Amino acid sequence: MKSLFSYKIPKNILISINLLGLLLVAFYHNSINKTTIITVLGLIVIIYLSIFILSKISSGDEYIFLIVSMLMSLSIIMIYRLSPELGLKQVIWFVIGILSLFISYFFIKSIKIWPKWMYIYIFISFLLFLTTLIFGKTIKGATNWIVIQNKYSFQPAELIKILFIFFLASYYVNIDKFENKLMLSIVSFGNIAFLFLQKDLGSALIFFTIYIIIVYVYERDRKFILYNIIIASTMAVVSYFIFNHVRVRVEIWINPWKYIDTGGYQITQSLFAIAAGSFLGTGIGRGYPQYIPEVHNDFIFSAYCEEMGLLTGIAIIMLYMIFIYRGIKITLEQKNKFYRIVALGITSLIGVQSFIILGGVTKMIPLTGVTLPFLSYGGSSLVASFASLGILQACSEVFEDEKEDNYGQEE
Amino acid sequence: MFDILSLMVRYLFILLIYLFMFGIIRMIYLDIRGIRRRSSVTSTYLKLINKRDELPFNIEEYYTLNKDTTTIGRSSSNTLSIKDPYMSKRHATITNDRNQFFIEDLDSANGTFVNGEELLNPIRLENGDSIKIGQVNFLFVHEKNE
Repeated sequence: MKSLFSYKIPKNILISINLLGLLLVAFYHNSINKTTIITVLGLIVIIYLSIFILSKISSGDEYIFLIVSMLMSLSIIMIYRLSPELGLKQVIWFVIGILSLFISYFFIKSIKIWPKWMYIYIFISFLLFLTTLIFGKTIKGATNWIVIQNKYSFQPAELIKILFIFFLASYYVNIDKFENKLMLSIVSFGNIAFLFLQKDLGSALIFFTIYIIIVYVYERDRKFILYNIIIASTMAVVSYFIFNHVRVRVEIWINPWKYIDTGGYQITQSLFAIAAGSFLGTGIGRGYPQYIPEVHNDFIFSAYCEEMGLLTGIAIIMLYMIFIYRGIKITLEQKNKFYRIVALGITSLIGVQSFIILGGVTKMIPLTGVTLPFLSYGGSSLVASFASLGILQACSEVFEDEKEDNYGQEE
Repeated sequence: MFDILSLMVRYLFILLIYLFMFGIIRMIYLDIRGIRRRSSVTSTYLKLINKRDELPFNIEEYYTLNKDTTTIGRSSSNTLSIKDPYMSKRHATITNDRNQFFIEDLDSANGTFVNGEELLNPIRLENGDSIKIGQVNFLFVHEKNE
């Protein structure tokens, strides 16, 4: 019993949080019965088993998956509290996510010619964008969903994020063979323009930041970085005056109280929720987070702040920070250039995405709708996040063959 | 009833989340310290084989054997003191005799195992031997620089 609470074995704390939280929430919904208990135990077994399998098959980092399973446990507890149906779906998505983690992990490890497929990445991502533009459905103000038979829907932008990182990595690996800045800029800004057309401003911002970070680290021509930043900022200012949906976001951000009954309703409710929670929170099931529209999705952070307190909110931000720290550490230790750029890209993807939405719900930056990685409810976002986690896990290992290429024969 | 439970659980929850984070930061800290140690280690050292989060006591990734006699045991008077409950107070010694290393069991309760065999008499350690003391598994690394 003592070891269940010992900080020296973090995975046991994970288990006790899961048991405690899920049973409390099941009690709140008056649904302690056979199915709930089997689901809870199954979930714990899945988490324990995947930590165990990962530590056996992977010689790389052992912390990132622990951090993510903590975030994921918190996510399931809160979404189950908000709505039992969505909670059950989130468990299913979690299982699919774990599967996608292992699939992407083996995929990355078994294929050795990733850097050579640059044109394939460009082609697939533009194809996906075109299909979204033609067949896309507008859900919640952004035309970025593809719905198949009115049943299954997914966001192609989630997949394109990973393809974009792979494209940038393969470009900088092959930079000695051909250097084509025009193509780099056209592809990158083309991606961003497509997202802009779909009114998916959050993803456009994520793409741009990843692009700038990787270019900043690997571009030899320092002026090129400056030009990029200047062009992007002028474009941002111009779009404020041209596009209505950009202007509305900024105006709501500056003064949400003026639009409290229309566009500013969501953000003001979120601020009320965070304020109501104070340091220790109202306790699970005793707050009113359901007053915030879309609370299980983009605004889940406000629900944590209300019911589990600001201290939990700070803890979540710190978990993301430890995750990013590990990601940068993996980047620094990886010797293979391609995997190094991919690790950097994925770390910045998760870091930037969580920053944008955390800043958005706390009214630090204008709100743009992106999901909070590993915490929000959402199928395609969760699967994509887990797939990128699998890639990061593969990047944290040593790739032997590349070493021999670099150093020649050792005998 | 539910209200009281929920109010009580929230304290426990925050405590557990922070404990978890503290645990992770501690593991990362030990990891960084291990890397720094390794760069300064001499050519002979013991490397931990167990995953550190399986052992509920303080243990390091590398232990250098730079003294003539290294004693291993639970008591803090040892050169290498590990608070493993399966270890005796003075469990074993590793002696350096002209760059040859010998391990000797000091009549410990649970014994010392080298490559899976229980130690009865002192034996010479070879590079790559695995040493099991209590719950802890070490790899003996002895690099010859000629």
